[in-house]
Amino acid sequence: MRRTQDAADADVRDHLILSRMLADAESLCGTRDELLAGQYRFLRGRIAALLELTMPIGADERSA
Amino acid sequence: MSAHAQNRIEGQAEDVPFVDSARLRRLAVASRADLEALQLHKLRRQLARLHASSGYYRRRMETGGLDPDALASLADFRAGFPLSSKSDFLTDQTEHPPFGERLGIAREEVALVNMTGGTSGQGQEIYGRSQRDVHMQGYLHALPWFLAGLRPGDIAMNCVPAGGLTTGGWGPGEGLRIAGATAFHVGGTLSTDAKIDLMLRIGEVNFIYASTNYLHTLTEALCRRGLEPKRTFPTLRTLFIAAEGYPLEWAERIETLWGCRLQEGYGSTQCAGFGGSTCADGAITSRGERGLMHLFEWETLFEIIDPTTLEPVKSGETGELVVTNLSIEGSPVIRFRTGDSARFISHRDTGSGRSWNAIECGTIGRFDDMLKIRGNNVWPSAIDAAVFSFGEIGEYAGRVYTSAGGKTEIEVRIAFTEQAAQMDEAARERLFEAIRRTIKERTNVWMTLVACARNELPEFSYKARRWKDERQQGYRL
Repeated sequence: MRRTQDAADADVRDHLILSRMLADAESLCGTRDELLAGQYRFLRGRIAALLELTMPIGADERSA
Repeated sequence: MSAHAQNRIEGQAEDVPFVDSARLRRLAVASRADLEALQLHKLRRQLARLHASSGYYRRRMETGGLDPDALASLADFRAGFPLSSKSDFLTDQTEHPPFGERLGIAREEVALVNMTGGTSGQGQEIYGRSQRDVHMQGYLHALPWFLAGLRPGDIAMNCVPAGGLTTGGWGPGEGLRIAGATAFHVGGTLSTDAKIDLMLRIGEVNFIYASTNYLHTLTEALCRRGLEPKRTFPTLRTLFIAAEGYPLEWAERIETLWGCRLQEGYGSTQCAGFGGSTCADGAITSRGERGLMHLFEWETLFEIIDPTTLEPVKSGETGELVVTNLSIEGSPVIRFRTGDSARFISHRDTGSGRSWNAIECGTIGRFDDMLKIRGNNVWPSAIDAAVFSFGEIGEYAGRVYTSAGGKTEIEVRIAFTEQAAQMDEAARERLFEAIRRTIKERTNVWMTLVACARNELPEFSYKARRWKDERQQGYRL
């Protein structure tokens, strides 16, 4: 059970890190450099997917 | 839950592959209530987004009187959200080309276009995927392969044709990159013998992904060259198949010949990759029975319904798969009737300890490729199962046609494996009779068998199309 709790904590931590990364990627997407803009959108998409994939499993974790 | 039951589940979750992923381990021990709460959370968010961004889905919610913000349960969703079918999507695309109003994202956000194969003859569905979806599609390929034992650094052979317009052409590449594997995308670009030559040069191969039919072709070609797969590729850990049904006897022979476990996944464009897989449990159980594909229900909501009454089937019954994407944002499917038939096994009956529902391995079929022959409903997958239960058969092709006298006839052309082709006339007659009887047992139809050379029949690199219905031609003047 301890390992399960540790994994839950890691999930929440990873999710928060990715949330911050997504906000940063959104900022990058505001660039006026059209060559970089497409690549930043690529990066934003990857982070957004990982944010989805690390969504906390427990309802209490999601509301935390 | 009793302490004993909890210990049992925790103990099972220690098993490979869950020991290598804490997140998957958590999903493996999640209760059904927790899993459904996660589904409902994702579903509410998906429906609210589509209500704002998709005219197609907004109208369906209005038709069913469904308010996404007030959605209280999965049961309310099933009761209130109308089913969609392929023809609904095609109409939407025609009225709002090219993606239809179901797209749900800005057209400028579409980073990958996928289309269905068009083998139904009705038309091709078109799907616009966002950058986020491209990764999700990769994940939905990497996930079953990770569960089947693929690990970073492994050498993988992808025998499914890459690229093009299909999800099956793009998802595996993303999936293998996400998994961290060194992948050789040999499908559709090299002949079978050239693939074997390359594999021999590589030497260490850990993972092979192929359609059921192509794994058969590859195995046949290796044996023809006198190469025993398990001695030739001793580092191979996983054979992973998808797309088509097969007889148990075939699966057993494949495992024996290759000396490793055969794993299977159920996937489609509508699932944006794989919706479920055998995990590490294998397509055949230790008791020699068909295995189960456990559904990834935290990403895709599955219903298995009676295609006539539209009511959910009971555990053990066969029904039509209905799919809802919980995590896909571009052209998501919501309560889409796939036309795929599958035998449903409730999570209570899987014996896995996980709360994931499952479908049976090796028996996925199509409701729409059914042939009506002399009043019988005959599925090509049933004939595949009958014919390939005989190890002497290399390939076959069938046609239903109208004779000069106006009678429906069925011809099955059969090619033997190289070894079996040497048998004498009497043995061949006995084998033909045994195959004929087996087909009759499984379809209730007697068919005419004709022997032919292996090179008279096509080699299929992905999904096999072994049957032709030529009856309309018989009535042409």
